[in-house]
Amino acid sequence: MSIVANNIRKTFGAYTALDGVDLNVPRGKLVALLGPSGSGKTTLLRVIAGLEYADPGSGRIQFHGEDVTDVPAGKRKVGFVFQYYALFRHMTVFENIAFGLRVKGRKERPSKSGIADRVRQLLKLVQLESHGSRYPNQLSGGQRQRIALARALAVEPKVLLLDEPFGALDAKVRKELRRWLRQFHDKINLTTVFVTHDQEEALEIADEVVIMNQAKVEQVGTPQQVYDRPASPFVYQFLGNVNVLRVQALAEAGALARGAAAMEANGQVYVRPHDIEVIPHVPGAMGITAIVRYIHTAGPAARLTLEQVKTRETVEVETSRVTLANLDLKVGDLVNLRMRQGHSFDGDYTI
Amino acid sequence: MAFARAKRSVLPGFGLSLGFTLAYLSLIVLIPLSAAFIKTAGMSWAEFLEAVASPRVVASYKLSFGISLCAALINAFFGFILSWVLVRYTFPGQRLVDALVDLPFALPTAVAGIALSAIYARNGWVGTWLDPIWAKGVQELSSIVPWVDWPSWLGTKLAFDRPGIFIALTFIGLPFVVRTVQPVLAELEPDLEEAAATLGANRWQTMTKVILPELLPALITGFALAFARALGEYGSVVFIAGNQPLHSEITPLLIMTKLEQYDYRGATAIASVMLVTSFVLLLLINLLQKWSRRYYRV
Repeated sequence: MSIVANNIRKTFGAYTALDGVDLNVPRGKLVALLGPSGSGKTTLLRVIAGLEYADPGSGRIQFHGEDVTDVPAGKRKVGFVFQYYALFRHMTVFENIAFGLRVKGRKERPSKSGIADRVRQLLKLVQLESHGSRYPNQLSGGQRQRIALARALAVEPKVLLLDEPFGALDAKVRKELRRWLRQFHDKINLTTVFVTHDQEEALEIADEVVIMNQAKVEQVGTPQQVYDRPASPFVYQFLGNVNVLRVQALAEAGALARGAAAMEANGQVYVRPHDIEVIPHVPGAMGITAIVRYIHTAGPAARLTLEQVKTRETVEVETSRVTLANLDLKVGDLVNLRMRQGHSFDGDYTI
Repeated sequence: MAFARAKRSVLPGFGLSLGFTLAYLSLIVLIPLSAAFIKTAGMSWAEFLEAVASPRVVASYKLSFGISLCAALINAFFGFILSWVLVRYTFPGQRLVDALVDLPFALPTAVAGIALSAIYARNGWVGTWLDPIWAKGVQELSSIVPWVDWPSWLGTKLAFDRPGIFIALTFIGLPFVVRTVQPVLAELEPDLEEAAATLGANRWQTMTKVILPELLPALITGFALAFARALGEYGSVVFIAGNQPLHSEITPLLIMTKLEQYDYRGATAIASVMLVTSFVLLLLINLLQKWSRRYYRV
C-alpha cells in the first residue's frame, strides 16, 4: 500500500518538529528516512503511524488513496517496530507475537489453534522457531528486534514502520540484521519505512532515501542519486566524509580537472576523500601542494590527513593501500593533490 | 552465590558490610523479637494454650488479620488509582496532593485515630450522613440475605465498631502502596502502551494486559507493606474501634491489656503467635512477589 503525506506540520510548544513535510512512498518499496537527531524523522514516522497527530490544519496522510489522517493508530493497519523493541517482558515470545491477534474483537479473532499456527509461522519467518517459550529478557538484542518485527507483522499490517530498528545493536549484528531486513523485505514485499541516522545503513538497503534536516526534507532519491548528486551542502556533508576546498586555491594550483569555469572564484568545492589523487611532489607541477600529517592504514583503505602548504587547511584523502605503498610516503613528506571530481553549490559560503 | 561472590569481587567490602548488616539487624530486630519468644518459653504448654487460644484472643486474631487484609486490598486498589493520577496527569494542586499522601506516615497515630473517630462518629462531619447510610445498608443486607449475621460482621455504625477499624487501617496503609507503585509507573516506557495501541488493543486491554502486569510486583510489595503495617497498628485503631471483646478488639490491644495487667508472659505469647503468623504470611507474599517477577530472571 502506498503512503502519501502532504504538507505535514507538527509543533511541540515552540519547537517545530515537522515544517511542511511531503512524503511519497510507492507501494512495496523500502524507504529510509535519514537525518541527524532532531531532524524530525522519528516524528514523521510517528505521525504516519498515528502515534502523534499532525497539527490541526496541516496536511493529510493517505494510505493507498484512503485518508487516514484522523484514524487512530490501532485502526490504521500499520506495523510499528520501536527502537528499544517495546516487547512485553512479562509475556513469552509466543504471547508477545500473539498479542495483536488476542486483542481483536470476538468476530475477527482467529481460533486458538489459528493463533498458534500464525505465531509459529511468524517465528519461522524471523528464524526463531525454537524461542517461543522464552521471555524477552532471555534473548539477545538482535533476536528481540526480530520478535518485535514478528509481533508487528502478526496483525497483517498494510504498512511496516521501523524506528531506528538497528540503533540499539552492536556494529556487527547491525550489519547482519540490516542485510537480513533487505532480504526479508524482498520476501514479504510490504511497503516499509524505516528511520535511521546512519547514512551507510540507509544507502545500503533502501530503495529510496528521504534525507531530512531541521524539520524539512532536504532531498529524496535512490541511494545512488543522493550520493552522487547531493542537492545541498548538508546532504553532501551528511552522506560521508567531505573536504571543503576553496575554488581559488584549486584554480591557482591548476588542480581542477574539469568544470572549473562554472564555479565562482570565491566559491567552495566539495570533494570526497576518495576523489582526490595523491601524486609525488614536483615543484611547479599541477595540483595543491600539501604536507602529509597523518597516515592511517588500519582498515580496508588507507586514509591520509594532509595540510595544504598555502592555506594551512586540512585535507582528508582516501586511497587504496597499494597506491599508498607505491608512493612510499612518510609523515612530513610533500605531495601534490589533484581532484578527480568535486561539487559546488553556488552562493554557499556558510560552511 | 552470595558467598561465592565474596571470594573475588570488584565490589569491595562484602565481609564488612554483611557483618555490619547482621550486627545491626540483630540489635534492632532479632534480639528484641527473640526476647518475646524467650519470655514465652518460660510458660508451660497448657498456660501457653490458654493465653493464645482463648476465644477472646482467637476472635481478635480473626479480626486483626481479616480487616488488615481487607484494608490492604482496598489500599492496593485505590493506591494504584491515586498513583496513576499523580503520575499521568498534571493538574493544579498536584504537589499538594502528592504531599498529602505522606501525611499518614507523619501524623502521630493517636491523632489520626481521634480525628477519624470525630469525623466518622454519628455526630461528626462525615458520620452525620454516612453513618445512617451504613446502618441502613447493613439492615437491608440482613433482610435480603438473612442467614448471615451481617450486623456482627459489618457492624452497625461506622466509628466505634468494625468499620472504624477498617477506616483507620486504610488511612495508615495508603502511602505504602502509592509510594511503591508511583516510581515504577513513572518509569514505565510509553513505548509499551504505544506498541499495544498499534497492535489494535483498546485502553482496557492495554491496562489489563500490559500496564497492570508490569506494575504487579510493585503492587504486591505495596500491598504487603500496607498489610504488615495494618497488622501492627495500635494507636489509631483503639480510638475508633469501640474495643468490644469478641467483636471489635484487635490483637495489639489485647497484648497491651495483658501488659497493663502485668501478665508479661501472656502478652509475649500472643505476640509470638502474631509474629510467626505475620512472618509466614509475608513470606508467602514474597513468594508471590517472586513469581510475579519471574520474567526478570535470565
